[in-house]
Amino acid sequence: MDIISFICSPGVLCQVLVGLSRTVILFIVASGLSLILGVLRIPNIAHGSLYMIGAFMAFTVSKVFGGGITGYWMAVLLAPIIVAALSFIAERAIFCRLYEREHIMLFLLTFAFALIFGDLVKLVWGAEYRTVSMPRFFQGSIPIFGLPFPIYNFFLLIMGPLVAIVLWLIVNKTKMGKISRAAAVDREMVGAVGINVSLVFATVFVIGCYLAGLGGALVAPIVNVTLGMDHTLIIEAFLIVIMGGLGNIWGALLGALIFGLSQSLGILIWPQFGIIFPYAAVIVVLSFRPTGLLRSTW
Amino acid sequence: MKRLLLLLSFGLLGLVLVVASSHAANTIKVGIVDTYSGPPASYSQDVVDGFKMARDKINAKGGVLGRKIEYTTRDEKFKPDVGLAMAKELVMKENVDILAGTINSATALAISDFVKKEKIPFFVSNAKSERITGQMGHRYVFSTNENTAMAGKAAAVVLAKMPFTKYWIAGDDYEFGHAIGDGVWNNLKALKPSVQLLGQTWWKVGETDFTPYITAIVAAKPDFIIVATGGSGMVNFQKAAKATGLAEKIPFYQHTANEITIGQALGMDAPEGVYGTANYLFYYPATPANKAFAAEFKKLYGRYPKMTALYGYITAEFIARGFQKAGSMNKEKFIDAVEGMVLDDTPVGKIEMRKCDHQVTLPMFWGVTKKSPEYKDFLISSDLVTIPASEYMPTCEQVLKARGK
Amino acid sequence: MGARKSIVALVIILAILAIAPLGLPRFYTYLIALIVTTGLLSTSLNFVLGFGGIYQFHHAVFYGAGAYGAAIMISKLGYSGWLGFVVGPLVAAALSFVIGLICVRLSKLYYGMLQISLGSLVWAIVYRWYGFTGGDDGIHGIPMPELVGSPLGAYYFTLIVGGLSLLVMHRILNSPFGSTLQGIRDNAVRSQAVGVNVRRHQLAAVVIAGFFGGVAGVLFVVVDNSVFPDMMFWTLSLEITIMALLGGWLTFLGPMLGAAVTVSLRTFVSGFTDYWTLILGILLVLVILFLPEGLLGYVFEVWKRRTSESAEE
Repeated sequence: MDIISFICSPGVLCQVLVGLSRTVILFIVASGLSLILGVLRIPNIAHGSLYMIGAFMAFTVSKVFGGGITGYWMAVLLAPIIVAALSFIAERAIFCRLYEREHIMLFLLTFAFALIFGDLVKLVWGAEYRTVSMPRFFQGSIPIFGLPFPIYNFFLLIMGPLVAIVLWLIVNKTKMGKISRAAAVDREMVGAVGINVSLVFATVFVIGCYLAGLGGALVAPIVNVTLGMDHTLIIEAFLIVIMGGLGNIWGALLGALIFGLSQSLGILIWPQFGIIFPYAAVIVVLSFRPTGLLRSTW
Repeated sequence: MKRLLLLLSFGLLGLVLVVASSHAANTIKVGIVDTYSGPPASYSQDVVDGFKMARDKINAKGGVLGRKIEYTTRDEKFKPDVGLAMAKELVMKENVDILAGTINSATALAISDFVKKEKIPFFVSNAKSERITGQMGHRYVFSTNENTAMAGKAAAVVLAKMPFTKYWIAGDDYEFGHAIGDGVWNNLKALKPSVQLLGQTWWKVGETDFTPYITAIVAAKPDFIIVATGGSGMVNFQKAAKATGLAEKIPFYQHTANEITIGQALGMDAPEGVYGTANYLFYYPATPANKAFAAEFKKLYGRYPKMTALYGYITAEFIARGFQKAGSMNKEKFIDAVEGMVLDDTPVGKIEMRKCDHQVTLPMFWGVTKKSPEYKDFLISSDLVTIPASEYMPTCEQVLKARGK
Repeated sequence: MGARKSIVALVIILAILAIAPLGLPRFYTYLIALIVTTGLLSTSLNFVLGFGGIYQFHHAVFYGAGAYGAAIMISKLGYSGWLGFVVGPLVAAALSFVIGLICVRLSKLYYGMLQISLGSLVWAIVYRWYGFTGGDDGIHGIPMPELVGSPLGAYYFTLIVGGLSLLVMHRILNSPFGSTLQGIRDNAVRSQAVGVNVRRHQLAAVVIAGFFGGVAGVLFVVVDNSVFPDMMFWTLSLEITIMALLGGWLTFLGPMLGAAVTVSLRTFVSGFTDYWTLILGILLVLVILFLPEGLLGYVFEVWKRRTSESAEE
């Protein structure tokens, strides 16, 4: 039982806790992906690119407002909105014409956008590494289990459930959410009662993309903002979404938790192949529950 | 149907018959394959700009053997299959005389295998695998930059003289990370047997948040941490080191931590007191040659040269002087000329292209990051120690042994 | 397009390609070999995607498995090249059987997303297992049997093996198995109702496609003598899907045409700009919007319309 006492040591617990705060970012991005998948049935590969654009936007916005705490809050506020606006244009111009097509077409279309966005980011921001400076307010750490725990990660740990609750309220308590849930189940029926389905879809798409941008803006202060940051993230987000059940927000949260935990514990237990643990978790989950842990909207 | 078949066949024929081979007689043509998109692009652009700067100067003086040096670049996008196809295109279609480039070790090794068969000289300008000029080295491949084993040994040379005894190794869990980590540790252990390794931490490549690992390392209370990260991992680790206050508690080392690519990315948020090694710093040594190089680069491109600018610059110099000395465009004679060639006046002083393994002998600068009154945008490296190439490069015997000769 | 006509087309194209090296600079023979390799990969993907209706999102993993299977047999274990060439596709087929077995119970998008994750897992292992697979550096300078050691030998080997593979896949698609597979694609419920074992047919299709993906991987080893983990990274899978779509994913030779266009264009465009991905992305959007049947599909459609018009006259 060495492993158990090892896992329960303060160092490891602290490590797991920080791992979870990183999971929050994954959750925020994945919940957007899940929303779009659940209602619009688009496996949005470009979601990772929007996350990247969110981070780059956060860099620019923060710079415009002179860095510091104002810059940071403006970045968190504005960057996702800009990303959402961008996605709105893409949705109205192109995606909305293709909802009747095969999934594979939509899937490839989002890949096309991932390619285009990737090069556009390079055109606009160049290839240099960028960083967003951590506002003074969030610098430093507080002791947890006797070890330093960065304040920003603490902030992220609070943000995760907050975003989940707000999303849940939107999906379950607003009229908009109820219509979109109905549209996910039976598109024609919703159209038949005189609701503009196309507009509902656009709104859901934009909210989903907003979440990708929000994830990017929130992650910006702790990482190096760089081209290619979308590539690993998008696969991770996909894993989380299928694990949790397509279109289920709580599923995304659960999936993100499993993903984050299996990853941080995996690295502790078997460093060389720690990378395979999250994948293994997905295989196990899907072997027992082929449509994900929680009820999918499909 | 028949018409369609006809159309298809003609289309195919037309496609394959578009022959557009161009080779102006009076040029020396260099093909550069490198990654100009994605995170590595930050390094690759300076290779080309350094190369171009040297090239322009050489051409302004009338070129070499009455020929101008011409170059063309290809973006491999960090994909070895694409990079290899591009190298083949450059050799077979563009008829380049020399190949250069790439930050991607897999691409460099693949191209190296190709040029061995084609007998085209290939200058590896930024790939760090020690196998390129070590185990897999051969007559046609040259390296104008350091490799992981060399970087590791360089750090060990200095660390052995420092008082730290309890070490921890952490890094990106892939070849580059392990090679640097092993390089430092094995050499350090050999130079100073009293050191002890408390533990190791390896995270996946592309890890963005290092805080959990740092907290675990801090708990073990080592004297010194060897951090073997590459590229964007460097930036992320330093951010986490700053956020957790690691930089003030336990000193740590990262290869190229004191170099401006990382410095500029972090800006003034970078932690002070981080140890690093780099082949080139534009402000040190403050020799006339280096000052002139940095000033000229800044004037041309509006920014300070990174270490990769030096790699590109000396690549062009070796190519130009190689052909000059060979006195002809014969590639075998060119290789004979470049083998053992000494450049006296580079920004980092006298360097040599070693005959035995085709590895350039660059000095390594060890230093610690610090704020400077002179530069307001990034931290510079202070307390600099110059490690001469002879102290950190593998000996010719070692290289030949690795090659199994 | 009838079976015989497809074969006639294939044979004519192969005949032209067979004499091509006589008058062609050697770069173009290399380019053709590369196109045939990539095209075979894309065709094998389309075998399950276009004809089987199975969302195989990460097909490149079998390309990599075939290539690594051959490379490890030859370079690490020291077997002869020919044996490696046989083992490679078998490894790919075995891998696709395992992955297929796990995924095939799921429908459409779930299948695709689980398949992409499992494929990424294989990639991660290959990328990390330095001692066995060469890690991120890959394996280089793989020794080739003398017959295919020269570029010309490699070219003809690629042409012959590629051509044969296409013929075999074509035969399979026109066999009773092939019609059943396409029947499942068009209406799985009905196929089930008439007593077809849908899952078993789909699994068989996946294994066949994996095998030929592995053959393409072997061809890459023959042409380029190298393997790298990037050969099984998910972006490549999407690129070959684009090729299939561009050429026409409901036609047999469409993916080959798509590969020819994409690979040539990439080679041509890279000489001028670093923004190849941007161009590819825009091209893809245009194809999805205006040519959903792909280039070849469009040509057939126009041709069909014309012949039916002339028949009416």
